[in-house]
Order: sequence, then structure tokens, then C-alpha cells
Amino acid sequence: MKKKLSEMDYAEQGTVTGIEDDLRKRVAGMGIRVGKKLRMVTKQPIKGPVDVVVEGAETSLGLDMAGKITIEVTK
Amino acid sequence: MKILLMGHPNVGKSVFFNRLTGANVTESNYPGTMVDYTKGWMKIEGEDVEIVDVPGTFSLDPKDRAEEVAVAMLHENRDAKVISVIDASKIERGIYLALEIIEEGYPLVIALNMRDVAEDKNIVIDADRLERILGIPVVSTVAIAGEGIKELVSRLKEAKPINVEDIIANAANASNTESVADAGGAA
Repeated sequence: MKKKLSEMDYAEQGTVTGIEDDLRKRVAGMGIRVGKKLRMVTKQPIKGPVDVVVEGAETSLGLDMAGKITIEVTK
Repeated sequence: MKILLMGHPNVGKSVFFNRLTGANVTESNYPGTMVDYTKGWMKIEGEDVEIVDVPGTFSLDPKDRAEEVAVAMLHENRDAKVISVIDASKIERGIYLALEIIEEGYPLVIALNMRDVAEDKNIVIDADRLERILGIPVVSTVAIAGEGIKELVSRLKEAKPINVEDIIANAANASNTESVADAGGAA
């Protein structure tokens, strides 16, 4: 099932399948690239940032950025 | 000679800086921004060397003011050597930045810092093997305890520009066997 990263629920895991072009380079340095597995850790309330774990390392993204990343949710 | 300490935010660059320069510190404000950087001096084999503590950046594609300063400092010091400080427990993204700097032709040494933190997460990195793939010195360090600092300094002279094609070829040869980083504890 495909979802935007911003729509993932707590503890869901998946693989990055798409990142919008304008964002691709900006998140690459944070370890988020197509093919990477990640897990949602926390979503902050009131349109706050999302926290994800990629390759064992935690990172956070603004909700608008997370909305430009597509995830194939595996569990 | 000038050495730039570069890496992500919170990987220990400033701890390295203090270890390397001792008390001989000058604080500066980079012109046109609100971002501070710090420089100091140390002696390596009798030569005065300037050390610059560059603001943390995730990539050479800046997202904010601090990152712009970091990238500008790198580009304004074409003749500098770079110590790439990497959080050993987050090696993947650290290497990404290091490769970007290598790609631009800078001589580089890698400090795999926070080795102790990585070990607590069951991450053990084969630094020798990484060194063979990258073709540059890779030293495991625990900067706050002073571990590995001397080795890092003594190996600065081995830093040299590397062709990325060589790294790709070395990595292809190495990928037939076990992986470099064994992240057993990562969920």
C-alpha cells in the first residue's frame, strides 16, 4: 500500500518509492533516498514535524516535506 | 596549512576542535550572517596549522544560513585539507557528505567519531576496510575521551584528492564479500 510519508501512522514501516524532484537533493544528505527503508517514530501535533528512523538513524522532517515523499508501507 | 573540520550538526566537530587546539582559540563571526565559526592554531611536526570549526551541514546543497556558511567556507578554501567528522552510529549519511567533499577534489581524512556510542548500538565498523575502499585514512575516534586523536593528526599527511571512479571500483570489488558496516541493533 502506497502512502505519503506525512500520512503514515505511528510505528508503520515502509520503503521510499518516490521523492518529488525539488526535494530529492535536500533529503539525500539526511539518508532519505529512493529504496531506503524507514519507520515512523513520532508525529508532532498541530502540523508539526514527523520523526522517522532511516538505517538506524533518527531524523525529522517538516510535514510539507514529508508530503512530497511516497512510501510503500510494508507493515 | 589550513584544516577544515566538517560534518553534520552534533557529531563532535567542536570537541575535536578543542582537543586539537587546546586553549588557543579565537571566535569569529562570519561576515554577513549570524552564524559563528571558530578558528584556532596547532602545531603538526613543527608547522603552524590553522584549524577551522565549520558549522554543521547535512550536504553541500545548503538548506539554511548555517549550511550556506559551511559550504561557502569550503569553497573559499580550495587549498585546505578536510577532516570529515562522522557519527559512527549514523555512518550512512555521514559518508554521503564525505563523498560530496571528495567529489569536489578536497584531500580528506575521516574521523569515525563516537565509536563507543555506535558500539552501544551494536554497530561495529571495519575502518580498515572502509579505508581500502575510499583510499583515504579512516580513523575510529572517541573525541571526548581523546581516543584516536593522535592517530588522526599523524595521518593527515596521507590525505589526498581521490577520484570517485576509483571508489566505485573498489566498492564493487568489496561488495562480493561481507558488508562494511554491520548494524545488528538497528530496527
